[in-house]
Amino acid sequence: MTATITTTLTVNGRQICKAAPAHLSLLRWLRDVAGVTDPKYGCGEGICGSCTVLLDGEPVSSCLVLAAQADGAAITTASGLLEPDGSLGRLQRAFHVTHAAQCGYCTPGMLMAAAAALAGSQRLSRQEIRARLHGNLCRCTGYGPIVDAIELAQDEAADDRGK
Amino acid sequence: MTVGNDQAPSGIRTSKPDELHVVRQPLPRHDQAEKIAGSTRYAGDFAFASMLHARLVRSPMPSARITARDASAALAVPGVVAVLFGEDVPHNLIWVDVPGQTVEVAALKASMEVLTTDRVRFHGEPVALVVAETEDALAQACEQVVVDYEELPAVFEPDQALAAGAPRVHETGNLLSEWVIDRGDVDAAFASADVVVEGSYQTQPVDHAYLEPEAGVGWLDDEGVLNLRVATQVVEHYRDVARILGIPEARVRVIAPYLGGGFGGKEDMTVEPYLGLAAWRTKRPVRMQWTRQESLLARPKRHRMQLRYRTAATRNGQVIGQDIDITADSGAYAYLSALVLLYSSVHACGPYRVGNVRLRARCAYTNNPPTSAFRGFGGMQVVFGYEAQMDLLAGALGLSRAEIRKRNAIVRGDRLPVGQVIETEVLLAQAIDAALERAGDKPLPSGEGKVVGRGVACNLQSYGRCVWLNDSAAAWVGFQLDGSLSVRCAVPDVGGGQASSLAQIAAEVLRVPMDLITVHFGDSALNPLAGTTTATRQLLMSGNAVYEASSALRANVLRAVARTTGVPADGLALDEGLITGPGVAMALTEAIVLCRRLNVPIEALGTFFGPKGTPVVKNLQADRVFPDFTFGAHVCDLEVDLDTGGVELLAYVAAHDVGRAINPRSVHGQIAGAVAQGLGMALLEEVVVEEGVNLTAGFFQYLIPTATDIPDIDALILESGEGMGPFGARGIGEPPIGPPPAAVASAIEDALGVRPTRLPITPERVLHCIAAAGGGPLQEQR
Amino acid sequence: MFIRPFDYERAEHLADACDLLRAHGEAAKVIAGGQSLMALVNLGLAQPEVVIDISRAAGYRDCVAADGYLTVGALTTHARLASDPVAARCQPLLGAAAGQIGNARVRSRGTLGGSLAHSDPAAELPLVMVALGASYELTDGRQTRVARAEEFHLGFLTTQLADDELITAVSVPVLGPGWGWGFEEFSRRDGDFALAAAAVLVRIADGIIVESRVAVGAVGDRPVRLADVEISLSGAAPADAAARVGPLRGIRPVGDAGASADYRAHLCRVLVTRAIAQASARSLEAA
Repeated sequence: MTATITTTLTVNGRQICKAAPAHLSLLRWLRDVAGVTDPKYGCGEGICGSCTVLLDGEPVSSCLVLAAQADGAAITTASGLLEPDGSLGRLQRAFHVTHAAQCGYCTPGMLMAAAAALAGSQRLSRQEIRARLHGNLCRCTGYGPIVDAIELAQDEAADDRGK
Repeated sequence: MTVGNDQAPSGIRTSKPDELHVVRQPLPRHDQAEKIAGSTRYAGDFAFASMLHARLVRSPMPSARITARDASAALAVPGVVAVLFGEDVPHNLIWVDVPGQTVEVAALKASMEVLTTDRVRFHGEPVALVVAETEDALAQACEQVVVDYEELPAVFEPDQALAAGAPRVHETGNLLSEWVIDRGDVDAAFASADVVVEGSYQTQPVDHAYLEPEAGVGWLDDEGVLNLRVATQVVEHYRDVARILGIPEARVRVIAPYLGGGFGGKEDMTVEPYLGLAAWRTKRPVRMQWTRQESLLARPKRHRMQLRYRTAATRNGQVIGQDIDITADSGAYAYLSALVLLYSSVHACGPYRVGNVRLRARCAYTNNPPTSAFRGFGGMQVVFGYEAQMDLLAGALGLSRAEIRKRNAIVRGDRLPVGQVIETEVLLAQAIDAALERAGDKPLPSGEGKVVGRGVACNLQSYGRCVWLNDSAAAWVGFQLDGSLSVRCAVPDVGGGQASSLAQIAAEVLRVPMDLITVHFGDSALNPLAGTTTATRQLLMSGNAVYEASSALRANVLRAVARTTGVPADGLALDEGLITGPGVAMALTEAIVLCRRLNVPIEALGTFFGPKGTPVVKNLQADRVFPDFTFGAHVCDLEVDLDTGGVELLAYVAAHDVGRAINPRSVHGQIAGAVAQGLGMALLEEVVVEEGVNLTAGFFQYLIPTATDIPDIDALILESGEGMGPFGARGIGEPPIGPPPAAVASAIEDALGVRPTRLPITPERVLHCIAAAGGGPLQEQR
Repeated sequence: MFIRPFDYERAEHLADACDLLRAHGEAAKVIAGGQSLMALVNLGLAQPEVVIDISRAAGYRDCVAADGYLTVGALTTHARLASDPVAARCQPLLGAAAGQIGNARVRSRGTLGGSLAHSDPAAELPLVMVALGASYELTDGRQTRVARAEEFHLGFLTTQLADDELITAVSVPVLGPGWGWGFEEFSRRDGDFALAAAAVLVRIADGIIVESRVAVGAVGDRPVRLADVEISLSGAAPADAAARVGPLRGIRPVGDAGASADYRAHLCRVLVTRAIAQASARSLEAA
């Protein structure tokens, strides 16, 4: 009993249409079917956030969504934050500047949580940034440099708007 | 050409800050950009088009005899390729006591089966290996493997395990190891003491909980070599896999890509033997990924320890005696427990001078999940004990917590109770002052029903492996014809910037810009072996190997230029891309071509040998156990909610003397990360095992700290300029994880007047402290 | 990663989902946001043979106020409930509780109906529904019925829902004049299920609590109202409320690895007291 279902997703602007077993999570579909490996498996419980992607702009645990449920959606992963020329995007540059990745395994998910946190227009305090990140676990950095990065990206975005 | 340090006299190195160009610069690590782009391929990200998948069937009970095994139903599941039991493993034994590239030690020769055949000793022990075409077939087949168990008597408490008549976990008895220190006249010291303080402390088992669960891919390459690309801290496990499969070591290659964290949990083998077995048997590529739940269930944990301390001091605060008793839980198998307990014993008196010491330490087998290496490696649990004793002494003598520590702080030339003399500069008192100064005034409570406390804790932690393990690391450094540089060193990069630091060291010696250096790491076949990324040893070992090789290469190039120009080599300077001297200005690329013309090698292999010593015996007495130590002082501010017992961390300062910071960014990262992990152990984390059954095998039960649990961590880098690593660097990977639990307990004691003595310090335990302090809501209401 | 394969059916309408449930019987599970089911599936704790997806079913996503009641569609996500202006105006307790659920990912997928039907005793939404005296509209695709929140939650992960029934909407009374609300929960780590939680509504008139609704979660197999506390609060000045709380009858905390039963009971009292103070302050503020 392995029903197959065809799912079409626009992943980082690229449309991907694949037939796969219906019970695959979005995470497994992305990694094992579509070969998009930047979202990471960390727990399968929706706790660690390593598999965070944006589904039509909203942050989700891709391990807790069936790929079939997301049919037709736009998915953004960490590599979707890159500039068109392949260089690091603004948020990613901020992570680079503040040394926000050590082992880097949580980083793709953390970036998507950060992108979602910065989607609103209001300025976030350090404490508010921490509150937006609490669903994404990191075991290497102690979180400080990640908070620094988001503050930095936020300031740069504000500077741009001011110009 | 090969260079080595076998003639090096003391091993102590130094450097002058104003002579350094690249070292001490907070450069971005070269591995950052790829990781942030999401393109780094971790062990589980690697796939072959038609690979198989493998999974373990594990024991559901902690102590049992296996009475029957039947794979027929599992083999009938479509897509199943193999179901393997212990009998299918050519040599069904893993040596678990000393991993890595060790050639001779006074080893325990402790071992366990790759797949257990007869006896199960812990919940989660591997019994069968299933290989299938798809993960779905695997899921179905694993449920169909029939294993019948007959429950056997079990023991879960180390004290009970050591009592007469306890059920035997192993035929040899339940006492795994025992260490003793008898130094000076302890009884006389206690008899003459002005004050004696006594305490009992309990640490809990905790999990590494790196974000990347164990994973890897195995395949046979075109030369018939078994390749294992796995998340490991030890590529030298290729030897273990070869022995298990009964094939030459030269036929197995382990590749360690960038790891998603290790912390000691990927020091022992995880997926390696199973991947090796599956790929060797099926001759096809195989992937194995452990689930988070498997990782939490069955991989070795940090040792739970019961610490009992009696400490004697004089009126002016001088510690004159320590009487220490340690019991540790090894769980079901030995792994590295004996060494962990040795670390506990050597570190048990902390960074303090004490002339009279009696220590008894033992480690017992139980039917709990096994325990092994974890950042801090036995040297960190004891901090929770010895620092509590220092606070008790401070209280008893009316001294400040800083003062009692400074009066006893080790300085260069002091001897540890085990007998080793500290040969390098120690900035402990300075670290205490610096941390307190940075912390500033103690914050005020945020409102009614809240109290604030400040805690202090210091520690020492060795860096480098035990000196009788014949440790060595090799590295190859070579110029390309365009002046770019290749570094080859099989160091596994666990995420701490191990590879990047090597580039920075080579850049300093050879003045090659960082972006022209490539480090090839983590490959046991194509790179010189550098040993384990454990024991805070890579900067010391691989760092020195790269330093030696780079220095030799530099000498080669200058020698060639000297021969051609007639200017003596010591009159020549190597600057960025240019060799200069009196009347000499030659481009580096030209010098490289010159070397080729003159038959001078433009590459060098450096092998660094760690300091040597003789193996210890049960009664510990040694001139040297470890190469050297790193010292630190932490200050923690927190607020306690008197109604709920909740603890909010307000500020945290961690000061460590790192000798010389190769990359201050990476040093900051190591300190902040280790502190966060230590704070998790202080307040949140515990592997809860009830009657041998692990109740915390999920991330919703095993709580690691989130961004709202950890305050900004202020890492203060002190540089004595002296250590055994290149340029006088000391190791910093493990040391900062020691003090946090003690610093938190110290702060809570400061706030409430009663000290929590058991980890983790849950809100409930804090509430009991409040009640014990003679106030608080719990008492009022009852 | 290693889960038993299952079939997938997508329902365009909730009624279709009920038909599918009848057709597949116990082998079927409903998925909306998936935040509870998928975690159980990934852990091997749920092994459905077919999963019926209602996340795209038409309707049931609105917050509408009429005739003194706020009605919220079952497919409303926690994120929407936490930010919906109508909900915030009519019954702010709902949004406050929804905003504290899990993390941003759980809130962007998780639905009101899903949380209520899952019936975790430590979850936020069942608790506030019991506190508010909510009624749930249920359908089997052929007829609808109404269940009271206090009766709907039968125990740990157990409800009154029949095998072929779904929750379609929830109605709660609009926060009336003089009422204030309070919500308190405590977990060892932000975003985790609470060790204890309290939701309180009080109505203050002439400086005296004249009416109250007090409910607690995570201290039993379902959220419960504390009638004794409500009675003893009646007539109290807010400043004296804490002293009037009295024994918490009806709670049955269970100890586990994270906290003992005693501690949960103690915590429950602290949170009830704090939630009462919060609710009183809000009531006085509004007056």
